[in-house]
Amino acid sequence: MSLVTELILSADSEARYPAPKELRIFQDFVKTGEQRVRIAKALAANEQRIVQNGSQKFWERCPNTPSNSGVDRKTASCQRDQGWYVRLIAYSILAGSERPLEDIGTVGIKEMYNNLEIPIRNIAECMRCLKEEAMAVLSDEDAQEVAAYFDLIIQSLS
Amino acid sequence: MQDAITTLINTSDAQGKYLDDSSLDTLQEYFRSGDLRARAAMTISANASTIVTKTVAKSLLYTDITGPGGNMYTCRRYAACIRDMDFFLRYGTYAMLAGDASILDERVLNGLKETYNSLGVPVGATIRAVQAMKEVVNDMLGAEAGKEVGHYFDHICSGLS
Repeated sequence: MSLVTELILSADSEARYPAPKELRIFQDFVKTGEQRVRIAKALAANEQRIVQNGSQKFWERCPNTPSNSGVDRKTASCQRDQGWYVRLIAYSILAGSERPLEDIGTVGIKEMYNNLEIPIRNIAECMRCLKEEAMAVLSDEDAQEVAAYFDLIIQSLS
Repeated sequence: MQDAITTLINTSDAQGKYLDDSSLDTLQEYFRSGDLRARAAMTISANASTIVTKTVAKSLLYTDITGPGGNMYTCRRYAACIRDMDFFLRYGTYAMLAGDASILDERVLNGLKETYNSLGVPVGATIRAVQAMKEVVNDMLGAEAGKEVGHYFDHICSGLS
Protein backbone atom coordinates (compact mmCIF):
# COMPACT_ATOMS: atom_id res chain seq x y z
CA MET A 1 0.00 0.00 0.00
CA SER A 2 1.27 3.44 -0.92
CA LEU A 3 -0.06 6.97 -0.73
CA VAL A 4 -1.13 6.60 -4.37
CA THR A 5 -3.10 3.39 -3.81
CA GLU A 6 -4.65 4.83 -0.67
CA LEU A 7 -6.06 7.83 -2.47
CA ILE A 8 -7.33 5.80 -5.41
CA LEU A 9 -9.08 3.26 -3.19
CA SER A 10 -10.64 6.03 -1.16
CA ALA A 11 -11.95 7.73 -4.33
CA ASP A 12 -13.20 4.42 -5.70
CA SER A 13 -15.06 3.57 -2.51
CA GLU A 14 -17.22 6.59 -3.28
CA ALA A 15 -17.24 5.99 -7.07
CA ARG A 16 -15.72 9.41 -7.76
CA TYR A 17 -12.63 10.95 -9.25
CA PRO A 18 -9.81 11.92 -6.88
CA ALA A 19 -10.72 15.27 -5.35
CA PRO A 20 -8.54 18.38 -5.94
CA LYS A 21 -7.21 18.11 -2.41
CA GLU A 22 -6.17 14.50 -2.96
CA LEU A 23 -4.48 15.34 -6.24
CA ARG A 24 -2.61 18.15 -4.51
CA ILE A 25 -1.33 15.66 -1.94
CA PHE A 26 -0.30 13.40 -4.81
CA GLN A 27 1.53 16.25 -6.52
CA ASP A 28 3.37 17.15 -3.33
CA PHE A 29 4.31 13.51 -2.94
CA VAL A 30 5.78 13.11 -6.43
CA LYS A 31 7.61 16.43 -6.07
CA THR A 32 9.62 14.93 -3.21
CA GLY A 33 10.43 11.84 -5.30
CA GLU A 34 14.09 12.63 -5.63
CA GLN A 35 14.48 13.05 -1.88
CA ARG A 36 12.71 9.73 -1.32
CA VAL A 37 14.98 7.86 -3.72
CA ARG A 38 18.01 9.54 -2.14
CA ILE A 39 16.99 8.45 1.37
CA ALA A 40 16.24 4.88 0.24
CA LYS A 41 19.67 4.67 -1.37
CA ALA A 42 21.39 6.06 1.73
CA LEU A 43 19.63 3.58 4.01
CA ALA A 44 20.56 0.67 1.74
CA ALA A 45 24.19 1.77 1.53
CA ASN A 46 24.51 2.35 5.28
CA GLU A 47 22.44 -0.51 6.64
CA GLN A 48 25.45 -2.45 7.92
CA ARG A 49 26.88 0.57 9.64
CA ILE A 50 23.55 1.52 11.20
CA VAL A 51 23.06 -2.00 12.53
CA GLN A 52 26.65 -2.42 13.79
CA ASN A 53 26.89 0.95 15.49
CA GLY A 54 23.31 0.71 16.69
CA SER A 55 24.02 -2.66 18.29
CA GLN A 56 27.12 -1.36 20.10
CA LYS A 57 25.14 1.52 21.48
CA PHE A 58 22.27 -0.79 22.43
CA TRP A 59 24.54 -3.22 24.29
CA GLU A 60 26.05 -0.38 26.27
CA ARG A 61 22.61 0.76 27.35
CA CYS A 62 21.16 -2.69 27.70
CA PRO A 63 23.89 -5.29 28.23
CA ASN A 64 21.65 -8.09 29.39
CA THR A 65 19.82 -8.98 26.19
CA PRO A 66 19.65 -12.06 23.90
CA SER A 67 21.72 -10.47 21.11
CA ASN A 68 24.52 -9.81 23.66
CA SER A 69 24.35 -13.22 25.33
CA GLY A 70 27.34 -14.64 23.51
CA VAL A 71 25.21 -16.96 21.39
CA ASP A 72 26.20 -16.11 17.82
CA ARG A 73 23.00 -17.40 16.32
CA LYS A 74 20.95 -15.05 18.50
CA THR A 75 23.15 -12.07 17.74
CA ALA A 76 22.96 -12.82 14.02
CA SER A 77 19.18 -13.16 13.92
CA CYS A 78 18.63 -10.04 16.03
CA GLN A 79 20.88 -8.02 13.76
CA ARG A 80 19.19 -9.48 10.70
CA ASP A 81 15.84 -8.27 12.07
CA GLN A 82 17.31 -4.84 12.73
CA GLY A 83 18.48 -4.65 9.13
CA TRP A 84 15.00 -5.65 8.02
CA TYR A 85 13.46 -2.73 9.87
CA VAL A 86 15.84 -0.34 8.16
CA ARG A 87 14.76 -1.88 4.83
CA LEU A 88 11.04 -1.60 5.65
CA ILE A 89 11.53 2.05 6.49
CA ALA A 90 13.17 2.54 3.10
CA TYR A 91 10.06 1.01 1.51
CA SER A 92 7.76 3.30 3.49
CA ILE A 93 9.78 6.36 2.53
CA LEU A 94 9.39 5.44 -1.16
CA ALA A 95 5.69 4.69 -0.77
CA GLY A 96 5.00 7.88 1.19
CA SER A 97 2.98 5.77 3.57
CA GLU A 98 3.50 3.87 6.80
CA ARG A 99 1.59 0.94 5.36
CA PRO A 100 4.54 -1.13 4.05
CA LEU A 101 6.22 -0.85 7.45
CA GLU A 102 3.00 -1.69 9.27
CA ASP A 103 1.85 -4.49 6.99
CA ILE A 104 5.21 -6.24 6.97
CA GLY A 105 6.78 -5.27 10.24
CA THR A 106 4.68 -3.84 13.05
CA VAL A 107 1.32 -5.61 12.97
CA GLY A 108 1.91 -8.47 15.43
CA ILE A 109 5.36 -7.26 16.43
CA LYS A 110 4.73 -7.54 20.19
CA GLU A 111 3.18 -10.96 19.93
CA MET A 112 6.07 -12.20 17.82
CA TYR A 113 8.85 -10.96 20.09
CA ASN A 114 6.98 -12.11 23.19
CA ASN A 115 6.78 -15.52 21.62
CA LEU A 116 10.50 -15.40 20.90
CA GLU A 117 11.03 -14.42 24.55
CA ILE A 118 12.79 -11.21 23.67
CA PRO A 119 11.95 -8.40 26.11
CA ILE A 120 9.82 -5.78 24.32
CA ARG A 121 11.49 -2.98 26.23
CA ASN A 122 14.86 -4.05 24.88
CA ILE A 123 13.56 -4.05 21.30
CA ALA A 124 12.25 -0.53 21.80
CA GLU A 125 15.61 0.62 23.14
CA CYS A 126 17.34 -1.06 20.23
CA MET A 127 15.07 0.78 17.78
CA ARG A 128 15.98 4.07 19.48
CA CYS A 129 19.65 3.29 18.92
CA LEU A 130 19.05 2.40 15.28
CA LYS A 131 17.11 5.60 14.86
CA GLU A 132 20.01 7.67 16.21
CA GLU A 133 22.50 5.91 13.96
CA ALA A 134 20.27 6.23 10.89
CA MET A 135 19.74 9.93 11.54
CA ALA A 136 23.50 10.38 11.88
CA VAL A 137 24.16 9.24 8.31
CA LEU A 138 21.50 11.52 6.78
CA SER A 139 21.11 15.26 6.31
CA ASP A 140 18.84 17.01 8.81
CA GLU A 141 15.95 17.17 6.40
CA ASP A 142 16.22 13.52 5.38
CA ALA A 143 16.75 12.45 8.99
CA GLN A 144 13.40 13.91 10.04
CA GLU A 145 11.65 11.89 7.38
CA VAL A 146 13.23 8.67 8.64
CA ALA A 147 12.83 9.42 12.35
CA ALA A 148 9.04 9.43 12.08
CA TYR A 149 9.04 5.82 10.95
CA PHE A 150 11.36 4.66 13.74
CA ASP A 151 9.03 6.43 16.14
CA LEU A 152 6.16 4.47 14.69
CA ILE A 153 7.97 1.18 15.41
CA ILE A 154 8.75 2.35 18.94
CA GLN A 155 5.12 3.33 19.50
CA SER A 156 3.92 -0.03 18.27
CA LEU A 157 6.10 -1.63 20.95
CA SER A 158 4.70 0.38 23.83
CA MET B 1 -4.58 -3.26 -6.35
CA GLN B 2 -0.97 -2.38 -7.03
CA ASP B 3 0.70 0.79 -8.22
CA ALA B 4 4.07 1.56 -9.76
CA ILE B 5 5.57 1.83 -6.25
CA THR B 6 4.00 -1.12 -4.45
CA THR B 7 4.73 -3.56 -7.30
CA LEU B 8 8.42 -2.83 -6.90
CA ILE B 9 8.28 -2.93 -3.11
CA ASN B 10 6.47 -6.27 -3.09
CA THR B 11 8.92 -7.84 -5.50
CA SER B 12 11.87 -6.62 -3.45
CA ASP B 13 10.33 -7.64 -0.15
CA ALA B 14 9.73 -11.18 -1.39
CA GLN B 15 13.50 -11.39 -1.81
CA GLY B 16 14.31 -9.47 1.36
CA LYS B 17 16.12 -6.85 -0.67
CA TYR B 18 16.26 -3.13 -1.09
CA LEU B 19 15.03 -1.77 -4.41
CA ASP B 20 17.84 -2.17 -6.93
CA ASP B 21 19.08 0.63 -9.14
CA SER B 22 16.87 -0.17 -12.10
CA SER B 23 13.77 -0.26 -9.86
CA LEU B 24 14.77 3.08 -8.35
CA ASP B 25 15.21 4.51 -11.86
CA THR B 26 11.72 3.29 -12.74
CA LEU B 27 10.37 4.96 -9.60
CA GLN B 28 12.22 8.16 -10.31
CA GLU B 29 10.61 8.20 -13.74
CA TYR B 30 7.19 7.67 -12.18
CA PHE B 31 7.76 10.51 -9.70
CA ARG B 32 8.89 12.80 -12.53
CA SER B 33 5.77 12.08 -14.57
CA GLY B 34 3.57 12.57 -11.50
CA ASP B 35 2.64 16.14 -12.21
CA LEU B 36 1.57 15.22 -15.73
CA ARG B 37 -0.57 12.41 -14.33
CA ALA B 38 -2.21 14.65 -11.75
CA ARG B 39 -3.02 17.34 -14.32
CA ALA B 40 -4.43 14.72 -16.69
CA ALA B 41 -6.65 13.38 -13.91
CA MET B 42 -7.92 16.89 -13.17
CA THR B 43 -8.81 17.51 -16.81
CA ILE B 44 -10.54 14.16 -17.22
CA SER B 45 -12.43 14.60 -13.98
CA ALA B 46 -13.64 18.06 -15.02
CA ASN B 47 -14.73 16.85 -18.47
CA ALA B 48 -15.87 13.31 -17.78
CA SER B 49 -19.39 13.63 -19.12
CA THR B 50 -18.24 15.53 -22.22
CA ILE B 51 -15.73 12.79 -22.93
CA VAL B 52 -18.41 10.12 -22.69
CA THR B 53 -20.80 12.12 -24.88
CA LYS B 54 -18.16 12.59 -27.55
CA THR B 55 -17.12 8.96 -27.33
CA VAL B 56 -20.66 7.70 -27.88
CA ALA B 57 -21.19 10.16 -30.73
CA LYS B 58 -18.00 9.03 -32.37
CA SER B 59 -18.47 5.30 -32.09
CA LEU B 60 -21.99 4.13 -31.33
CA LEU B 61 -24.60 6.67 -32.42
CA TYR B 62 -26.25 6.16 -35.80
CA THR B 63 -25.24 2.54 -35.97
CA ASP B 64 -27.55 -0.46 -35.75
CA ILE B 65 -26.77 -0.80 -32.09
CA THR B 66 -28.98 2.15 -31.08
CA GLY B 67 -31.94 1.13 -33.28
CA PRO B 68 -34.72 -1.34 -32.49
CA GLY B 69 -33.20 -4.77 -31.94
CA GLY B 70 -29.80 -3.24 -31.09
CA ASN B 71 -28.23 -3.66 -27.69
CA MET B 72 -28.41 0.07 -26.89
CA TYR B 73 -32.06 0.32 -27.89
CA THR B 74 -34.33 1.34 -25.00
CA CYS B 75 -33.30 4.16 -22.70
CA ARG B 76 -32.52 1.72 -19.97
CA ARG B 77 -29.86 -0.05 -22.01
CA TYR B 78 -28.54 3.21 -23.41
CA ALA B 79 -28.13 4.45 -19.83
CA ALA B 80 -26.37 1.23 -18.82
CA CYS B 81 -23.98 1.65 -21.74
CA ILE B 82 -22.94 5.19 -20.87
CA ARG B 83 -22.62 4.20 -17.23
CA ASP B 84 -20.10 1.55 -18.30
CA MET B 85 -18.27 4.12 -20.43
CA ASP B 86 -18.08 6.29 -17.32
CA PHE B 87 -16.59 3.37 -15.42
CA PHE B 88 -13.97 2.73 -18.10
CA LEU B 89 -12.96 6.36 -18.03
CA ARG B 90 -12.76 6.57 -14.24
CA TYR B 91 -10.87 3.31 -13.79
CA GLY B 92 -8.59 4.17 -16.70
CA THR B 93 -7.82 7.41 -14.86
CA TYR B 94 -7.09 5.54 -11.62
CA ALA B 95 -4.75 3.16 -13.46
CA MET B 96 -2.97 6.08 -15.13
CA LEU B 97 -2.45 7.77 -11.74
CA ALA B 98 -1.20 4.51 -10.26
CA GLY B 99 1.04 3.79 -13.24
CA ASP B 100 -0.27 0.22 -13.06
CA ALA B 101 -3.11 -1.71 -14.69
CA SER B 102 -3.94 -4.04 -11.82
CA ILE B 103 -6.95 -2.04 -10.65
CA LEU B 104 -8.48 -2.54 -14.11
CA ASP B 105 -7.93 -6.28 -13.92
CA GLU B 106 -9.35 -6.57 -10.44
CA ARG B 107 -12.28 -4.19 -10.57
CA VAL B 108 -13.30 -3.87 -14.20
CA LEU B 109 -12.09 -6.70 -16.40
CA ASN B 110 -12.51 -9.60 -14.02
CA GLY B 111 -15.55 -11.42 -15.47
CA LEU B 112 -16.57 -8.49 -17.66
CA LYS B 113 -16.39 -10.35 -20.94
CA GLU B 114 -18.53 -13.16 -19.54
CA THR B 115 -21.03 -10.65 -18.17
CA TYR B 116 -21.27 -8.87 -21.51
CA ASN B 117 -21.69 -12.15 -23.34
CA SER B 118 -24.48 -13.25 -21.06
CA LEU B 119 -26.21 -9.86 -21.44
CA GLY B 120 -25.78 -9.93 -25.18
CA VAL B 121 -23.63 -6.80 -25.16
CA PRO B 122 -21.53 -6.86 -28.34
CA VAL B 123 -17.89 -6.92 -27.32
CA GLY B 124 -16.70 -5.67 -30.70
CA ALA B 125 -18.73 -2.48 -30.42
CA THR B 126 -17.54 -2.00 -26.84
CA ILE B 127 -13.93 -2.20 -27.95
CA ARG B 128 -14.65 0.26 -30.74
CA ALA B 129 -16.13 2.65 -28.18
CA VAL B 130 -13.15 2.33 -25.83
CA GLN B 131 -10.81 3.06 -28.74
CA ALA B 132 -12.92 6.11 -29.57
CA MET B 133 -12.65 7.21 -25.95
CA LYS B 134 -8.90 6.89 -26.19
CA GLU B 135 -8.92 9.26 -29.17
CA VAL B 136 -11.25 11.75 -27.50
CA VAL B 137 -9.08 11.82 -24.38
CA ASN B 138 -5.94 12.10 -26.47
CA ASP B 139 -7.34 15.11 -28.32
CA MET B 140 -8.25 16.74 -25.04
CA LEU B 141 -5.03 16.07 -23.10
CA GLY B 142 -2.44 16.28 -25.82
CA ALA B 143 -0.07 13.60 -26.99
CA GLU B 144 2.10 13.13 -23.91
CA ALA B 145 -0.62 12.67 -21.31
CA GLY B 146 -2.88 11.07 -23.91
CA LYS B 147 -0.37 8.32 -24.48
CA GLU B 148 -0.11 7.65 -20.75
CA VAL B 149 -3.89 7.18 -20.40
CA GLY B 150 -4.22 5.50 -23.80
CA HIS B 151 -2.10 2.64 -22.60
CA TYR B 152 -4.83 1.71 -20.10
CA PHE B 153 -7.66 1.99 -22.61
CA ASP B 154 -5.71 -0.48 -24.73
CA HIS B 155 -5.46 -2.69 -21.67
CA ILE B 156 -9.27 -2.67 -21.34
CA CYS B 157 -9.61 -3.61 -25.01
CA SER B 158 -7.17 -6.47 -24.79
CA GLY B 159 -8.91 -7.69 -21.65
CA LEU B 160 -12.20 -7.78 -23.54
CA SER B 161 -10.98 -9.44 -26.70
